[in-house]
Amino acid sequence: MKPQQFTSTTESSKAKFPWKLPYKAQMRLFLLPYVLGTIVLVVIPAVATVLISFTEYKAVGAPRFVGLQNYRDLLGFGLVRTSLRNSAIFLLLAVPLRLLGALVLALLLQRKGRMFGSYRAAVYAPTIIPEAAYALLWLWIFNPVYGPLNLFLGWLGLPTPDWLIQPGTARLAIVILSCFQIGEGFVVLLAGLQSIPRSFYESAKVDGATWQQSFWQITLPLLSPWLMLLTFRDLIMSLQNTFTPSFIITYGGPYYATTFAPLLIYELAFDYMRLGLAAALLLLTYVLLGLIVLGILNAVGLGGSADEA
Amino acid sequence: MKRKVGRLLHSGVGLAVALLFLLPIYWIFTASLRQRGLPPPTGIEWWPSPATLENYPYIFNLLPMARYVRNSLLVVGTAVPITVFIASIAGFAMSQEDEVWRRRLLIASIVLLMVPGASVWLFRFQILRWLGLIDSLWALIAPAFAAGSPLYVLLFFWSYRRIPGEVFEAARLDGASAWVMWRQLARPLVRPTAVTIIILSFVMYWSDFVSPVLYIFRTDLYTLPIGLQLLKQLDPTNWPLLMAAAAVITLPVLVLFIFLQRYFLSDLSIASLMDQN
Repeated sequence: MKPQQFTSTTESSKAKFPWKLPYKAQMRLFLLPYVLGTIVLVVIPAVATVLISFTEYKAVGAPRFVGLQNYRDLLGFGLVRTSLRNSAIFLLLAVPLRLLGALVLALLLQRKGRMFGSYRAAVYAPTIIPEAAYALLWLWIFNPVYGPLNLFLGWLGLPTPDWLIQPGTARLAIVILSCFQIGEGFVVLLAGLQSIPRSFYESAKVDGATWQQSFWQITLPLLSPWLMLLTFRDLIMSLQNTFTPSFIITYGGPYYATTFAPLLIYELAFDYMRLGLAAALLLLTYVLLGLIVLGILNAVGLGGSADEA
Repeated sequence: MKRKVGRLLHSGVGLAVALLFLLPIYWIFTASLRQRGLPPPTGIEWWPSPATLENYPYIFNLLPMARYVRNSLLVVGTAVPITVFIASIAGFAMSQEDEVWRRRLLIASIVLLMVPGASVWLFRFQILRWLGLIDSLWALIAPAFAAGSPLYVLLFFWSYRRIPGEVFEAARLDGASAWVMWRQLARPLVRPTAVTIIILSFVMYWSDFVSPVLYIFRTDLYTLPIGLQLLKQLDPTNWPLLMAAAAVITLPVLVLFIFLQRYFLSDLSIASLMDQN
């Protein structure tokens, strides 16, 4: 709809080609589809979700205002606590591992040259595998009897866990598979490394600094804004991205061990049609995440600014 | 001498890491070549023997995979060009805005990047229903009208910002319209970014599993990711079949990635444009 609107304006003024609209207004017109589309598809749904969380809403009929009742219901609902606990365990393991992985790989593969270009592409490769295919692949890899992982562990003489059958290892399995799709963080950190001027390292070298010293004194402080941005994005996105694997591989099991917040939100909303309750759980999850983010900001905020000086 | 050993070691570790990350793709394809019904292997099988391609026609007979492929292609073929166009003009306009608006749009876009998908599921469903788009492929294409992701707009914005202002000044004095400026001057200068957005948005629409789960109920409108899920429900431990289906959905993005990756990663095009920010 929006692009049509846009083209119709171009056509009506085609007769005299440079539009009569002032340049600034033409630019606003260029922004219109993006801004309108985002408002309709992202901003309104997100705001409506917040409002809906204070109502009883079953997809049909009008929402009925119930105040904080949904939140009270959530607290008395054991599965909600389970899903929040699962999500917290997942994030605690997955986010640091993913960031550390992306950082180590970016440092290792930032070198120039043709081979290293291909190595960087290889690291990005698992990230492009469609989620559904990726989930099926890991379903096979984690098969306790003939999955390649256990065959390999057995060959090494290591213990071969039942992966997707035991609650603890099933959750760990979702963490492990998330650690191979780190292309985005990897590319962002490569960009961050590129933005550090070479001369910093050269003068450090002249001063006789070892590579460990230049890493702690130059690389890490200058990379910290990028790492911070990635931490926040990864806290949100990696939790969101548990949806497809937990839906296809385990459907929340065994014993609800992989029922993460997004899967429970989906079930509440689309299986039980309790949209108000689902919205409340969503809000609760992300308010808790927001508190974690604020905690991190507080913990490093002061130290970070001291480093800059 | 010591430096040479170090460099060699560095290359060796790099190669090992690269092979580890290629393993998932390698396994999808080799496991899809295994004959159905053979007893499971007792050790890691690097190449199945006998290798066969017959699992591929088999899954196309088992499920209407050809229709799923067609639906997926329709979605991607429509959504990717719209996405690239809308993201490109929005990024260009952002780069031409004055300081105040540029800042506002930049901050809004970065905040939007942090909005989790689940927060729009519930109500986007309602909006699509009001628009009559539930059970229509347009429900899957819809994000294209919001430029796909704010990230794409930001990437275009950063690369348009790198173009020196003089490029546009002469044209503006001649009274060129914004359209002409974008189409004839700016667009040809950001081709690597456009290629990056093509890859990223292609992968996004092609892989989208959640949207069809939420918005598509008619079986004849299912896309490939749903086809994979159906196949898994049909025969949950028939690995050669599941991997053949996984290969079918992975192959197009892989081919696109291999052909276009020199724009995407090798010359660090994203990297070189981000540090100009």
